[in-house]
Parts: sequence; C-alpha cells; structure tokens
Amino acid sequence: MSNELVHVKIDERDVHVPKGTNLVETALAAGVEIPVFCYEPRLGEPIGACRMCLVEVEGTPKLQAGCTLTAQDGMVVHTARTSQQAAEGQNATLEFILVNHPLDCPVCDKGGECPLQDLTFRYGPGNTRMSFEKLTFEKPIPISPTISLDRERCILCYRCTRFSESVSEDLQLIAADRGAMSIITTFEDLPYKGAFTGNVTELCPVGALLPTQYLFEGRPWEIVDMPTVCGLCPVGCNINATVREGKVKRILSRNHPEIDEGWICDKGRFAYTHLRAEDRLTQPLQRMRRHGLEPVSWEQALGEAERLLDEARGRVVTVFSGSETVEQAYALGKLLRHGLNSHQATLPEEISGALDAYRLPLSSIRNADVVVVLGDVPVVERAPVVDLWIKSARRSGARILDDANDPSVAEAERVVLVWSGPGGRGGATVAKLAEKLGLAGREGCGAFYLPETPNGRGVADAWAACCDEEAEAADSIGLLVVSGDEAAADENVRALAEQAEATIVISMFGGLAAGWADLVLPATGYLERDGTFVNLEGRLQRLRRTVEPACPDELEWISQLAARFDVDVAPYAAAIFAEVSDRVYGGIAFGEVGERAPLRGYPEAQEHVARQALPEPEQKAKRGEIRLVAYKPLFSGAAVERVTELQFQRPQPELELSADDARRRKIATGDLVTAGSNGSAITLSARVNRRLRAGIARVAIEHAEGLAGVVEVAKAEEVVSA
Amino acid sequence: MTTFYEEVQEIRTRYPEGTRSALLPALQLAQERHGWLSRQALEEVADALELTPAYCYSVASFYDMLRLEPVGTHTIEVCTNVCCGLVNAQAVLDAFERELGVGPGETTEDGEITLRAVECLGGCSTPTIVAVDHRYRQSVTPENVPAIVQELRNG
Amino acid sequence: MAETTVRVAEGPALVLAGYDGEPLTSLAAYRAVGGYDQLEKARAQDPQAVIQELIASNLRGRGGAFFPTGRKASFIPTPDKIAKPIYITVNADESEPGTFKDREIMLKVPHRLIEGCLVAAHAIQSSDVYIYIRGEYAEEYRVLQAALDEARDAGLLGGVAIVIHRGAGAYICGEETALLESLEGKRGQPRSKPPFPAISGVYAAPTLINNVESITTIPPVLAIGPAEFAQIGAPPDSTGTRLFCLSGNVARPGVYEAPHGITVRHLIDDIGGGVPGGHTLKAVMMGGSSFPVMTPDDLDTALDADSLGKKGYFIGSGVVTVIDERSCIVQFALRVAQFYMHESCGKCTPCRVGTRWLVQLLRAVEDGTAQESDFDLTLDVCDRIIGKCLCVLGDSAAMPVASCVTKFRDEFRAHLEHGGCPFGADSQLAGLFAPVDQHAHTTVPEGVPA
Repeated sequence: MSNELVHVKIDERDVHVPKGTNLVETALAAGVEIPVFCYEPRLGEPIGACRMCLVEVEGTPKLQAGCTLTAQDGMVVHTARTSQQAAEGQNATLEFILVNHPLDCPVCDKGGECPLQDLTFRYGPGNTRMSFEKLTFEKPIPISPTISLDRERCILCYRCTRFSESVSEDLQLIAADRGAMSIITTFEDLPYKGAFTGNVTELCPVGALLPTQYLFEGRPWEIVDMPTVCGLCPVGCNINATVREGKVKRILSRNHPEIDEGWICDKGRFAYTHLRAEDRLTQPLQRMRRHGLEPVSWEQALGEAERLLDEARGRVVTVFSGSETVEQAYALGKLLRHGLNSHQATLPEEISGALDAYRLPLSSIRNADVVVVLGDVPVVERAPVVDLWIKSARRSGARILDDANDPSVAEAERVVLVWSGPGGRGGATVAKLAEKLGLAGREGCGAFYLPETPNGRGVADAWAACCDEEAEAADSIGLLVVSGDEAAADENVRALAEQAEATIVISMFGGLAAGWADLVLPATGYLERDGTFVNLEGRLQRLRRTVEPACPDELEWISQLAARFDVDVAPYAAAIFAEVSDRVYGGIAFGEVGERAPLRGYPEAQEHVARQALPEPEQKAKRGEIRLVAYKPLFSGAAVERVTELQFQRPQPELELSADDARRRKIATGDLVTAGSNGSAITLSARVNRRLRAGIARVAIEHAEGLAGVVEVAKAEEVVSA
Repeated sequence: MTTFYEEVQEIRTRYPEGTRSALLPALQLAQERHGWLSRQALEEVADALELTPAYCYSVASFYDMLRLEPVGTHTIEVCTNVCCGLVNAQAVLDAFERELGVGPGETTEDGEITLRAVECLGGCSTPTIVAVDHRYRQSVTPENVPAIVQELRNG
Repeated sequence: MAETTVRVAEGPALVLAGYDGEPLTSLAAYRAVGGYDQLEKARAQDPQAVIQELIASNLRGRGGAFFPTGRKASFIPTPDKIAKPIYITVNADESEPGTFKDREIMLKVPHRLIEGCLVAAHAIQSSDVYIYIRGEYAEEYRVLQAALDEARDAGLLGGVAIVIHRGAGAYICGEETALLESLEGKRGQPRSKPPFPAISGVYAAPTLINNVESITTIPPVLAIGPAEFAQIGAPPDSTGTRLFCLSGNVARPGVYEAPHGITVRHLIDDIGGGVPGGHTLKAVMMGGSSFPVMTPDDLDTALDADSLGKKGYFIGSGVVTVIDERSCIVQFALRVAQFYMHESCGKCTPCRVGTRWLVQLLRAVEDGTAQESDFDLTLDVCDRIIGKCLCVLGDSAAMPVASCVTKFRDEFRAHLEHGGCPFGADSQLAGLFAPVDQHAHTTVPEGVPA
C-alpha cells in the first residue's frame, strides 16, 4: 500500500485513506459500516463472493462490491444508509442467502452471536418469498472429532476454505462440486486434521462450523468471555475463555496483532477440558504405609510438607516444569531458598540472554525477506503460531531457508532467524549467528529461539529474583520437590526421585504422581491462575483466573507453608509480582502488564539469572549418515492425553525421511522401515518429506522408544506370512 | 514405459515453476489411466504435484468431464441443450435409453456403456450431437441409435 | 451423418479466406492461400504499430463482450515497464449454447489462429501463449495441436511458446478470469475485477485474453489493411465480418461468414432457407442463450451491436437460433435457466442461489402450480440477480428468463389456466428439463461395478 492519500466521500463524510485501501476499510475509517460476510482481511485478498458489501459509487451504474473495490481519489460512495439502490442490493443478497438457510436459530449455537442474524436484522427482508423446497443435507456432519459441519446453514462464504488454503496451508478443508450444489468438505470424509483447524469455527459467520465440545453448552446471554493468555506453549496466544456457571466451555482467540493475529492452535483451543479430567486432583494425597496414596486434609498435608521440608533443610532439590507462573515459581523459590537454604533447582531450560539484542515481535516475521529456520524440529510442533507467521512471510515473497550460509541471507535486508529444536543451547547458537550476520539494531532483523516450555523463561527469572545465593550441589537429595505435570511426567525426574529420601509432587492429575510420590499436592491449571508468563519473544503477559480452581490456589498454601518457616510470601499474585518486578521487570505494576501486552525489554532479568552451563552443540551427522530427531509433538503432554477429542491429532508412528535419503535406500512413503543403532531398533511406516533436508530423520518422541543420535535406516524385511 | 509421476513432471515443464497449472492435465491423464478419478488416482496426482488429495478433489469436482465415480468402458453423451433440443435431442436420448436400458447418468449392467445427458457440445447446426467416447457424431437421429450402440458393443 | 455447413455467405472472405470446403489444416495448404504472410509483415513492424493497426480497424471481441481488441492490447504494459512475463491466453472454451464457430475455425483454418497468436505475441511482446480449449473438443484439439507442431517444426514460432491447455467441462471457464483460474490449476471461479487481466492476469502477470475468432481475424485485418476492414460491416462500431452461428428450426443451419449489418431475417430466410416444414418463427435465441430472446417483430434488425442494442438485444457470439411455434417458451426458459444453474460456479450468492430459485419458479409455471404473482416474483428475482453478481453468468441466466416472462406473458399465463403446459409432450423441448446429469459426488448408480 502506498503512502499516497486519496480523498473519498462516503455517506457524505469526507475521509482520507492510503491509495489501495478497499471501500470496506475506507468506510470504517469514516465511521461507516459496510456489512460483510466473506470479507476477512486476514485471509488474504478479498474475493467479493457474498455480495453483502454492495455499495453505490457515483458515476458507476452497477452496484460495486466494497471489499474488492479500492478507493480512488474523488470517489463518492453511498452505502445502504444513503442509497436506496445499495439498500436494495443488500436486501437482495440477504434474501438470497436466506433462501436455503434453515432458519433454525432457536436450536443453533451461533444464535445470539451470529453475524447472519445481526445483519438480517439490520439489512434484510422481514419475510421470505421462497415457497419451494430448500436444499437439504445430512447434518450435522463431524468433519473431525472437534468440529461439526451443518451444510444447510452454510452460506458458502469460503472463509474456511480460504483459511485452509491460504493461512494454515493445509489444503484439507475444501469446496467441492459446483454452483448450487457446492459443499464444504474434506477428502473422502477424512477428518480435518492439523494444528489450526479450529480457527474455522471462529471464522464461520453462521452456525455451519461449530466446535463439537461447545454444542448445546451455552447461550450467549449465559456466558462470559474472560480474557487471558494460553499457557500451553511458549507463544502465549491471547485468548478468551468462555465461562458458564463456573466452567470453561470454550476457548476463543483474542487477537493480539503482534503475537497471534487472532489464530490459535487446536491444542490451545480444544485441550481445556483437561481441567475436568477424571484423574484431576482436588485433594492432597499422602503415602500411607501399605495403602499407597490416600486423600488427606489440607491441614494434614501441610503438616506433612512442613515435616518433609524441615528434615531436608539445605538438601531440597526442586524441579520446575516451566508451566508455573512467574509468581508461583517465585513463591516456591522464596520459601525454599530463604526458608530452607535450598538453592538447587532444575530449571526447565536455559534461555540465553544474548538473544535479547535481537528481540522482535513475532509479527515482524511476516515482513522478512529471508527467514532461516534451524534446528530440525518442525516449528509447528514447538510454537504453532510461529509457523503461521513463517508461512505468511513466504506468501509475501520471503525465502524460507534452512541454511544460514545461503548467500541470499547476507544479501537480504530483513533477516529473521528461528531456532526450533534441540542443540540450540538456549538460543546462544542462534544469537551467535545473528551476531555474525550483524543483525543487531537492523530494522526488521531478529532472532527467535523456540523453547520447549510455555514459561521456562519466566520461571528462570523468578527463581533468580528470589535471591542471589549460588547453588551448591548437596551430596544427597533430602527432598525432591517436583513442580508441575511436565516435570512429573518426565522419566528422568522419576529416576531422580529414586535417589531422593522423599518426594513431593505438585500435579493436576493423580495419574502422574501415583507410585512414586510421598506427598501429592493438587495443582491448578493455567486457566485457573492469576499471574504472569514470559513468552518466547520475552514478552511479559498476564494470565487471569477465568474460573475458580478445583483446588486451593498454589500461592495460598505456599504462603501458609512459608509462614511456618518465617518466610513472608503473599498469597496474591499482584503482591508477589511487585516483588519480582522490583528486581527483574523494571518495577512495573501488575496492573500495567496490559490486556494486550506490549513487548518491553527487561535487561535487569538477565543480571540475576544464574546461568547454568549451556549444553554442548549436537554433533552434525557425517555425509550419508542419518541423525534421528525425536521431537515432542504439539499434540502431546498431560493435558492433551486427557482430551478424547484430540487423540486423532496425535502423530502416527511414522518416520519422516528426506527425499534424498529415501531414494538412496529405495524407500517410499508407506514402506515399513527400521531405524536402529547399537542393537536397539524401531520399526515404523516411512513418510517421505520433500522439504526435509538430507541427513535427518524425524519421529515423534512417543514413537522413538528412546532411540536418538545417528541411526541406520533401512527398508524393513518383508515379513512373509505363513 | 514412463511412470505417471514422470509423465506429470514432464507436463509441469510446460508451465512456470511453482504453479499448479499441471493439475488439470494431470487429472485428465489419471482419468485416462484409471477410467475415473478414484481415491488412489487422486492420491497419485496429489503426490506428483505436491498438493493434497483434498485439493485435487476440490478442483476435479468442479469439472463435468472429470469423473468421481466409476463409469462404463464407453460413454455416450447426448447434447440436450436448446439447439439440439429444438430438433430431436429428446427423441435421440429416449432411443438411447431404450436401446441401453438405462437412464442418463447410469451405466449398463455389464459395466460397458455409460449414458449421459450433457450441455451444449458446440455442434448446434448438426443436431443432435452425440459424443461417443468423446468423438462427435453429428445429425444423429433416433434411427441411428441402434447402430451406434452395436458399434460400441462390437468394440 | 451430415457435416456442418461452413461457408462465406456474402461479403469478403476474411476469417475463412482461402477455405472452399477443403480444410486448410496442412501448413502447405495454408501457405498456398497466403498463410503466415501477415506474420512476416508484422514482425517487420514495430510492435506498437501493429497495435495501432488493430485499433484503427476497430476490430472488436467476438466472444461476446465486443470490447475493442486493439485497445485491449494497448493496455498491456510494455516489457520495459514491468518485471514479469507477459502472457497471451486464447479463449477457445466455446460453450455458449448455440455457438459453434470457434470449433470450425480450429477444424478448418487452424493455422490462421496460430498466425493470429503469433502476430498478437509480437504486438504485445509476449513469448508465452496458452490456448485454453474446451475439454469436449477432442478432434479440434488434435487438429490444432498437429497444426501447431507443423508450424513449430517449420520454425514459425520464433521463440514464442504456444501451449494448448485442455479444459475439463465447465461453461464458466469461458469467462476470462475463470479461465485464468482454471489455467492456474484451480476451480474455475471468476475473479473480481479490477484488477483486469491486462494488469494482473495469469500468474498475476499482464495477460491479453482474446476469443479464437478475434485472434483469427487479426491476420485478415492486416492483410486488407485496417482502413478497409473498418469500412466493412456496420461502421463505426461493428466493423468487419462475423461468423454467424445459425441453428434451430431453420432449413440450412451452419456457420456463415458475413459482414456485420445484415438483418436477422436475411440470415434466417435468405442464407438459412427459412423455417422448414411450414412452421412459423416464434422467437430467436439472439446472440446466445445468455441474452434476451428476440420476437418476430424485430427480425428486420440489423446484426450489429448498435442496431441490436437499441432494441435491447446483444450480438453476443453471433448466435441466431430459430425457435418455431411448436416449442413451449416456458420450457425454453426453464431449459436455459437449468443450464445456468448447472453451470453457475457457486462463488457468489445471487447467481448460486438465484439460478436455482429461477428453475424452481419456472418449473412451477410449467407444471401449472404457480400463481400469477409468481411472474412478477420471477422478474424481481431476475432483477435482484442482474448487475449484482461477481461475473456476468448471473445476468446471463436472468436476462433470457426475464425476457421470456415479459414478452410471452400470455403463454406463461396459459400454463396456469391450463393447469399445466398446453404444449405437453408435443413441444420439442418437453422432457429435456429433467435434471441433466448433475455433476455431483452423490451415490454410485446401481449396476456400476465399484
């Protein structure tokens, strides 16, 4: 869009807009509404399909679609407010749209928050002249376990298919057939599968595509949308939790233009039912001799916790998950470090402070000329929405590379580096690369490291802010405190527990603590917490308690426990944050974090974070060798495991191979292959990925059976059945 | 013999790189090989063009000549638009229905011949136009019908 | 089984020059009648000069829109102004009911089409030509491809790549932007204009799109000179000759080259031999099925855009289809509406929904179950489609239907009074409006082996 301004008169109002602005946006700038259905600027070029935005343009005999026509200097436009012709045009469009619409609003979940209802009320005909049979379809059809499709309600605005084609680029949700018989569908009734499918339920302007979990779960006047931030990955998409009668019923996007542009992944959207999982803990559990874990009162649990902590003074080791809020990590840290002189903690991951010089909002990726993605784990598996920004950059003409030595990197003006995978040394490697390329201070240039945990960085900040005492390794572990479900699910942590004299597990789910904990304290979920998270950009964001937790808030009992050791920990996030902020976040107040938080720099944070040695870079595979990358899939983890509807999204037992490596071994997609090293081997179905670079084979960690490093890959011997 | 994949790659060279222009020719080729666009055929096309089967299906289902259901070995397509209709298309279509024992859109029991009623074939001055295995027969009358069917049956 | 009559009916032979019943499919035969001379002449000229000649001739598009061909070419940016390739696409997706001229051009004078492409390529400095030919035209594709191969082997292409791209059965792909989408491997749904193809056409690059007959007329324009061409026919707007497509209830149907400006009556009666069998003319499908039908009182209208336009008609693709008194006009309207419902791409609301509604309304009239008020409702539905769609297909459905309701209201009313169609099975069109083989992935018909 050019900087040149053009003058347009719209419904008698004068407005100046940049040349190239379409009339819908022009009208908006003038404070005039042009109603739309198919128009949605996030889906790319407008298509002018629904004809709802018809306007009269002086000097043009025919009505024009406001979404596709761009403002020209001197243009005089009339919307339905000032033009009979335009009003009739819009009335006609609505009459046509309603000709086949079933008008089943009383039983439609969209009712009350439906653009079709609203626009019909304002612009449409009051009755119908259609006296023939409407088109009928089988309904509703599950296009996946999470999305229902009602074709009778569909007005064929093509928002969903454009999303699938031009935003998520999965090309799975499509229009089939032609004309009046056109339908929205998937191929051969396969489920619409992918990281972002649920966004179509928000794009749909009618009740055609609905989230199955929300079917008949609430009417708009019974619900309230609570603004918060998703806590399931390091992106921290801004979301609204739809709450009815104290329960989260639905997750919606809450467009933060710099972070998510209003797109969220299916894990963030559909995994919320884990709050009501069968094994959700609401009461503390204590190991009783011979009986295993048994529910106990909070009074008894805190007494036991006090006893265990007291016995292990100076020898308490804490393992964090990286899903705690800054406040939770600080509260726990303050108790352990100030009250018990225990400074030993396993932080979920190290984030290199060197990255801060290359900080950018995620939205800047779109404007890059070159994006270099390093690290071999699909971006979508670590930080899904980042993948959408990279796709958007490619559509705008950026080159997406996997090699920073490509000559076009040095030539490009705006370069963004993304590290996605192991071996990145917490971002140190990518920061080094950025330094080498001289990206610091250059506009539109930056580097991102995609961490594995949602708030590992905030947890590290908080732990560091507690005190500056250095950790000294104790010769034995008196008490292992396992904070959060990711840590509780980690086999290494469980192995560590074997060495500990006692173990306290703080977990949402009984299933994770059974068998090895001595004391289990129930945890809250991110939708139940007040507090802050730091996302992968280094942006501090505010979590809100959207529903009352199923158990007392962590801060509440940590505060009580801390008091028993004469440590002052406030039971409120705001008060704790104030302490943390004073030390590491420039003293900003809790209330200033912001509803749509800006990207600020927090240089103080780095000064406090005691750096542990960053891991060594991984060995590169030699020519002809294949290195196995076992990645943690997006659809995995304690929450996803507890949501039945998301199981279809979990990765198949497949080994991804590059076209090169596959060809050399005469392997085709679908062939059974074995990958092995040192006598252990896994057998999986092969999938040839033309975009994967040679020398890499990829598998979801749950199918890797512990295999890693350089592996031999070969076609499995044909098993001849007798 | 060249594989389907290789043939599609050859077709791709006619069009600028990075475009999907080879899709229609690839679908036509797949239909030639399989008789119709089965799931497997669409998967092969998708693989050769780095698209999804869903996308190929979406495009294929837009076009009348691409068949998403099994069809007979032979097809008889009778123009039923206005120009042929004004002369004798109805009588010709009726004659084919009688001769084959199937209605438009159906295939004879032996799977040999599919009868279709189609839109204007662009042969309006020699009605009725009947495309037999995609070759036009001009000025077809009901009297010609048995011979046309016999010819097909004789191979 | 008779061959199509293709001949010069009167006036100069331009598109069909040199054709006297023997197809000029071989390069030698075409060379023998001066073929490719104009290409050589054009290539010796400055590209802009060629465009100027086309502008001077006032040659207009023969596909239906009648846009000046030279001016269209002049909209294409010159290569020094744009960093993208420049494309030519030839619209050979002839599918308008009643139209069969482009097919005859490809069968009879394929080299003239190729020569036209090469001259146009020189004029706009393009080296990439796509000829989008409708999929049903298998023989035409074969003949054209053979001619193209021969021309290429003879070194005539001069660095221009011509690719023949076959459609797959969709009327809408004759709409220029739908054609581009289809050529790009997508569903053939029209694009919103602007941007016009001249600025952003195929692959978002400048693209000149012309109908087969328009392109084929370019060599003869250069041969006789633009000034002379501009004198032929009905100047200033309807210059040159035209391949009229005469069909329906007429004694000698065929493709006739004749100058613009002959009357409809002259074409039907004198050239076409009139309505046979002692029947009388009831209506004419004028220009194609997309336009208002002509009533007998307008038969003396000259076949040029201006004269037709004054009476609310369109020259379209040169179609004149005669309907005699035996056929029911409601059936005609219904059959036409059904065609457009079947061919609507489904992208924009008024066309997708409106065409089906029109079919339902007309069906009710034909069955005698409609009410008098449904006539006005039908007209209102037409009115709500016309001018409000993304492309002209909606208008193309609504205009003929509205004209039938308006001009033959008595016949419509008779259906209600009679409690059904007064013509019954006697009308030639009866029964053809049973659902045509709709392209839908419904169920596998019985008897088809899976």
